[in-house]
Amino acid sequence: MIVFVFLALLQLKVPDAQQLVGAPAGKKLAGAELDQKTMELSQILRCPVCQGLSISDSPSIMAANMRDQVRDLLVQGYSQEQVLKYFEQSYGQFVLLKPKFQGVNTFVWLLPLGALLIGLAITLVKMNKLDAAPAAPAPEAPADDPYVARVRELVEK
Amino acid sequence: MTGSVGQFLVLLSLLVATTGAMIGFYAGRVRTKEAVEWARKFAYLYAACMIGATLVMEYALLTHDFRVGYVEQVGSRAVPMWVTIVSLWSSLEGSILFWGFILAIYIAGAVRFTKNEHADFMGDSIGVWLSCAIFFSYLIAAPANPFGLVANPPFDGPGPNPLLQNHLLMIIHPPFLYLGYVGMTIPFGFASAALMRGRLGAGFLRPIRASLLLPWCFLTIAIMLGGWWAYEVLGWGGYWAWDPVENASLLPWLTATAALHSAIVMERRGVLKGWTVTLVQASFLLTVLGTFMTRSGVFNSVHSFTQSAIGPTILVFLAAALLFAIVLLSMRIDSLEAEGRIDGAVSREGMFLVNNLLFVLLTFTILIGTAFPLIVEAFKGKQMSVGRPYFDAMVVPIGTALLFLLGVGPALPWGRAKQGQALRLLLPPAALGVLVAGAGFALGSSNFWTLLTLFFGGYAAHVTMAEMWSPVAARMKRGENVGTAVMQAQVRRGRRRFGSYVVHAGAVITIVAIAVSSTMRTSRELQLEKGQTATVGKYGVTFLGAEDRQEPHRLSTIARFRITKNGKEIATLAPRMNQYQTMREPIGSPDVYSTLAGDFYISLMNVDVPTQRVGISVYQTPMIAWIWISVILMGLGGLIALIPARAPRVAIASEPVLPGGVPAES
Repeated sequence: MIVFVFLALLQLKVPDAQQLVGAPAGKKLAGAELDQKTMELSQILRCPVCQGLSISDSPSIMAANMRDQVRDLLVQGYSQEQVLKYFEQSYGQFVLLKPKFQGVNTFVWLLPLGALLIGLAITLVKMNKLDAAPAAPAPEAPADDPYVARVRELVEK
Repeated sequence: MTGSVGQFLVLLSLLVATTGAMIGFYAGRVRTKEAVEWARKFAYLYAACMIGATLVMEYALLTHDFRVGYVEQVGSRAVPMWVTIVSLWSSLEGSILFWGFILAIYIAGAVRFTKNEHADFMGDSIGVWLSCAIFFSYLIAAPANPFGLVANPPFDGPGPNPLLQNHLLMIIHPPFLYLGYVGMTIPFGFASAALMRGRLGAGFLRPIRASLLLPWCFLTIAIMLGGWWAYEVLGWGGYWAWDPVENASLLPWLTATAALHSAIVMERRGVLKGWTVTLVQASFLLTVLGTFMTRSGVFNSVHSFTQSAIGPTILVFLAAALLFAIVLLSMRIDSLEAEGRIDGAVSREGMFLVNNLLFVLLTFTILIGTAFPLIVEAFKGKQMSVGRPYFDAMVVPIGTALLFLLGVGPALPWGRAKQGQALRLLLPPAALGVLVAGAGFALGSSNFWTLLTLFFGGYAAHVTMAEMWSPVAARMKRGENVGTAVMQAQVRRGRRRFGSYVVHAGAVITIVAIAVSSTMRTSRELQLEKGQTATVGKYGVTFLGAEDRQEPHRLSTIARFRITKNGKEIATLAPRMNQYQTMREPIGSPDVYSTLAGDFYISLMNVDVPTQRVGISVYQTPMIAWIWISVILMGLGGLIALIPARAPRVAIASEPVLPGGVPAES
């Protein structure tokens, strides 16, 4: 009986989980593993009433409730993907602080990568081209006065 | 009356700036001494008008002259005097006026410091500065006019935004930020003038570098102060949330840092001219973009409480400035080509190139991440978020790579490194790296990136120390005693070199502290009744009771906690909830017990005074105080590097140059 009441209470916190994401697909979590996973997921879910804070960081009551929901879903054995999907269906993509790698969102991940590759290519080509040329003594840094020039000369030998 | 005087000064400044800008550009064309002199005079006159207008506003605030629009908006007889003084930058109109004030000081300063130099460039430089001044004077005169007349002045006003009153840091953060942001106008003007003249001589690099380094120092400290404020006030135990406004302050800092580095390569090797100028221009443009992000209200942010309809106006200015910069750069692209060359990839200049690549990549990534939700919403009509997990995933590897360069770069020689030479130079510091990473592991860090950061950090620390020491050692070899050697090598002669290694030392500590504090933080939520004690790790928290306290402008609910460590009492913490008359929601004010080893942070979640129950969040964060200290160190290092070395001509007579002499300042 007590177990049933307990389960009923859990169901109340996440009433529509079954309809939204189907039957629990992962294993039921408990103890330290549960704490760890709750923390992890709380960091990638956005608190809907705050300014860009995750529910893990937000001090608001809403965020605390959502953290409880995450925990309950994990206790019931929902997998990480299902938990994220559950919140996405309830609040929209807005709730995911880490954009999914799909559709137009791929750009936010690929653009920096592309920039890195292009930048790297330019840098390497530039250095290689110069590297291939016969080594010539580098032109002196423009020194404003003879003392600095003399020091540089000695140091760079 | 007061309002009219202010209004008059603002309109006069608009007129002076417009005339002065035209004279400046004219002086740039004809390049006669008289024309430049006139441009200088107008620059000073503009500064006088703007400073005057700001003083008039302060006078109106202090005398509670509610006939002045801005005073009616933010003034209050109930708040302490210091709040009244700083309410100048508590809301949009006043903060734009404050912006003009700082721009005026910068322009006057730049004109003063280049009194007898760069006559070729000064006309155009003044022209560009005063053109920017026109825009801000226009903002102050029309869309964001703080001097508007109030028909029926009230007896008292609402007072400034409570967030501003809630913590001291919020008072010093904005001036630093403005000093950083506005200051980027000066190198922008110098660089534009160089482009308009079509040449960028080595001599002209110095004012660009100096005028970039000064705002860089302010911006460095401003970013830290903003984070520190968030930590002390927002109550979530962190200091950086990758909030759009936080990112906006970081973007120009990144490009300015890149420019300061590429300027060194340009000075030494004659390459990267166009690139350096582009970075300087970009830093200025990013400050304008940042202003737009903060003021327009299109971004959701905890920090933007000065939104208004001036967003589009700023966007127009941004577009104009961007166009100006692009046209100038493309016009002069040929004359910015390299006069020197780079000799090898594994060399100090090679590392500078990679450094620039990484800084620009970081800027690009943060810009994309910040703007992406807006773009998606505009084109797809979908709301999405790009938050901390994204930025962490992107920034952590790039930041770690930068730390790696910070160690490797200075250890490599200029020019081509000889076979084996590179390896020999890089081996000893690696030992310290292993030691530091080992210590971190022993103390419980298991995160891969943190351990890598500790390794690179120890490594970079060794290199930085060695580089700091080497000129001293060289002097000591020649028989100078330690005192004179340090004095001569660091303070007298090599301030620039010494300063930049102080910045590096600060940066190493900052990056390590960020890595350690963010990966080794623990948090707990507790519900306590009066007298109850909870144990959190080595610490004990006892709830002593809560009380309401009525203050003139707010109602505070204060909860007191006794903190013990290993059974010994170490502190009493009193986090509070402040309810301001003008705000619906109370603002939490966490309390922190801070030591160099780590912070113990209590944030009040809920409190019920009648039943004496509280809900708190407790955060334990190692090393976080090091972030504030080391960033201040970075700012100070920048200032040291800024002070020009003593005129070297004197040195020739007094200083015999010996073999194995002093490393050149770099």
